[in-house]
Amino acid sequence: MIRIDHFGYTYRNRDHPVLRDISLSIPEGSMIIITGPSGAGKTTLCRALSGILSHVYTGTSTGSIVIAGRDMMEYDGIEELSHTVSMVFDDADAQLIFTTVGEEVMTSLENSGLSKQEAEAELVRILDLLEISHLADRAPYTLSGGQKQKAALAATLALGTQVLILDEATSELDEEARTLIFSILRTLADDGKTIILVEHMIDEAAAYADICVLVEEGAITASGTPEDVSRIIRDALPPITKRPRKAGGAPLIEAEGLVHCYGDLRAVDGVDFTLHKGEIIAIVGENGSGKTTLVKHFNGLLKPTEGTLTIAGTPCNGHSIPVLSRHTGLVFQNPDTMLFEDTVRKEIAFGLKNIGKDQSSIGEVLEEVGLAGKEETNPRHLSRGERQRLALACVVAMGQEVFVLDEPTTGLDLAESLQIMEILMRLSDEGHGIVMITHNPGLACAFADRVLKMSNGKFIAATEA
Amino acid sequence: MQEIMQYIPGNGIFHRIHPITKLIFTVILVILAVMTSDPLLLGFLLVVVFLAAWAGGLGRGLTEQIPLLLVLGVMLVFFTVLTMPAGGVLFPLIPTAVPFIGGGLPVTAGALLFGTILSLRFAVMLFAFQLLVVSTKPAELVTTLRQLKMPIDYTLMFLIALRFIPTLQREGIRISEAQLARGYAPGDGLMGKVRGLRPVILPLILNSLGKADTLGLTIDMRGYRRGKAETGSISVGALDGVVLSAALVLAAGVAAIQIIGL
Repeated sequence: MIRIDHFGYTYRNRDHPVLRDISLSIPEGSMIIITGPSGAGKTTLCRALSGILSHVYTGTSTGSIVIAGRDMMEYDGIEELSHTVSMVFDDADAQLIFTTVGEEVMTSLENSGLSKQEAEAELVRILDLLEISHLADRAPYTLSGGQKQKAALAATLALGTQVLILDEATSELDEEARTLIFSILRTLADDGKTIILVEHMIDEAAAYADICVLVEEGAITASGTPEDVSRIIRDALPPITKRPRKAGGAPLIEAEGLVHCYGDLRAVDGVDFTLHKGEIIAIVGENGSGKTTLVKHFNGLLKPTEGTLTIAGTPCNGHSIPVLSRHTGLVFQNPDTMLFEDTVRKEIAFGLKNIGKDQSSIGEVLEEVGLAGKEETNPRHLSRGERQRLALACVVAMGQEVFVLDEPTTGLDLAESLQIMEILMRLSDEGHGIVMITHNPGLACAFADRVLKMSNGKFIAATEA
Repeated sequence: MQEIMQYIPGNGIFHRIHPITKLIFTVILVILAVMTSDPLLLGFLLVVVFLAAWAGGLGRGLTEQIPLLLVLGVMLVFFTVLTMPAGGVLFPLIPTAVPFIGGGLPVTAGALLFGTILSLRFAVMLFAFQLLVVSTKPAELVTTLRQLKMPIDYTLMFLIALRFIPTLQREGIRISEAQLARGYAPGDGLMGKVRGLRPVILPLILNSLGKADTLGLTIDMRGYRRGKAETGSISVGALDGVVLSAALVLAAGVAAIQIIGL
């Protein structure tokens, strides 16, 4: 049993508390979902429950947390707590310390006190359970985002602690892999473990969890069954209506027989693709199916090994990235791969200066993405949802005909995801062509004109949405 | 993409000898490189490392690093010439025909020699260390360091440094691609390239700091720091004896030349 009693927390050098008066009981053998917008305090709550706030950070706290019958402060430190609580952080890459997946999991098993034979048997079982046996000898840097998340979870499961906390640990997995993880977590809960899961896809996780709490601005604003909380969240939002399909305008991207090889691997294998003016296309598919490789051709970052590709009438072969990126703007999955300036205004101005465009549109673009008034804020001080919208604004301000977005809603809750979709719809109405890669089938069906499914480098199904 | 400082599977001499033998071999070479200030001897040590690499089937990996090392070497010589003039002037970097500043920035014999010694020393140390790292599985290297009673914090630090080199390489490429997509074109020439680094280096540093926090917490929460020292025995074979003897003969030879002035 975990008991949180009127808990509050303020980080060092901050004026305002990140958590306020949190009270919650989590029975043993239950699985609880924590959800809420980015920047609401979910990660801080996870860090409170894992003992990091009490034993590593030096902020000020109020109230108390009791884990396994002892107050958090009674534990000797994070190492003693690590026998009871383990946590998977949202950045999977930073949690893979060893040079292969097998070593990573094996080290956790040996540290949990198993003999060599027991540890070897358990290693096989855990890798099988998460369907990553084929990755045992692979180095972390060769894995996809989803594979890294599975490896980080495997290393944490190997510790076999009573309490397991997952902070957005499935955000880069496809739907099938998420379902696998949720069912594994349910089995663990049925075996008596306590599972705490920070998750935006509550509808998918609802069938597996017992309780759900909604955290907003540092406080719990709703709690109940996952279905109840999901209903509360939906009721606060305008209803999601299916976007009427638009008649296709002139073609902006035309690809025929596009192939891209990495050595012997045909990552994109003979794809025909057309994007029209004003059209929104969603590309879905499992991790590693070739989605990102395909879209990197649309602004010249990759050149086709075979086949032809034309962007806004410009053949991609023979033209450099700066030429092609005048037609196509690409927003990467993680906004932090591009943000480097110390104010929001400078961040947008960077792209405009690069293409010699006037900077007068900055205010208008910020208004459009809902960041008006934040011109002088440091981008790194914004929440994940705001950073995602800023990354989009940086590219939108450049005004290309085509915008390509790789997983634009990763790490965002439903309300923030809908904000991004609204921006995309406005851009589509203005005549821009949009391609978005997504692992969220609900958003794809509701907002895209066409949904294309990729597998092993090919389109295997297309849905006229 | 060629990953630097990463294990390359193989079955050459260096793959078959014990990590501790390789560690001693590397330490001997590093000590010799530091103690020697004769460019000819340093050049000889460099040849020895290369011959050892080719004999162990790792020559190609090391040869691929030569262009990078040449650039570093030229820069080292250049900065030494600029900052540490010594001995007779060979020629000025700015021709005397140029009005007012002609004859400026003199290249001196002492600075040129010192810069060359520094570059060769650096090359010997880097290649010797690389030979150790690319022929040893990181887990075996860590076990060896633990057997030598190296504190767990230092062992983890060493392991993490090796593990994150390719991650940083890839993250750098990803950031560079993201900036290229924003129409960013790195400038021409050396100064343009230096100025153009900011949009790539800054996110790389900021993201790495974020990773370091998570990494530290993970190490604590998985209890890695309570790891006990490895107690397994070290078993060495005949090949280890050959490599160790060769290293010792090399050390004795270099010492003799240095001390007796042979």
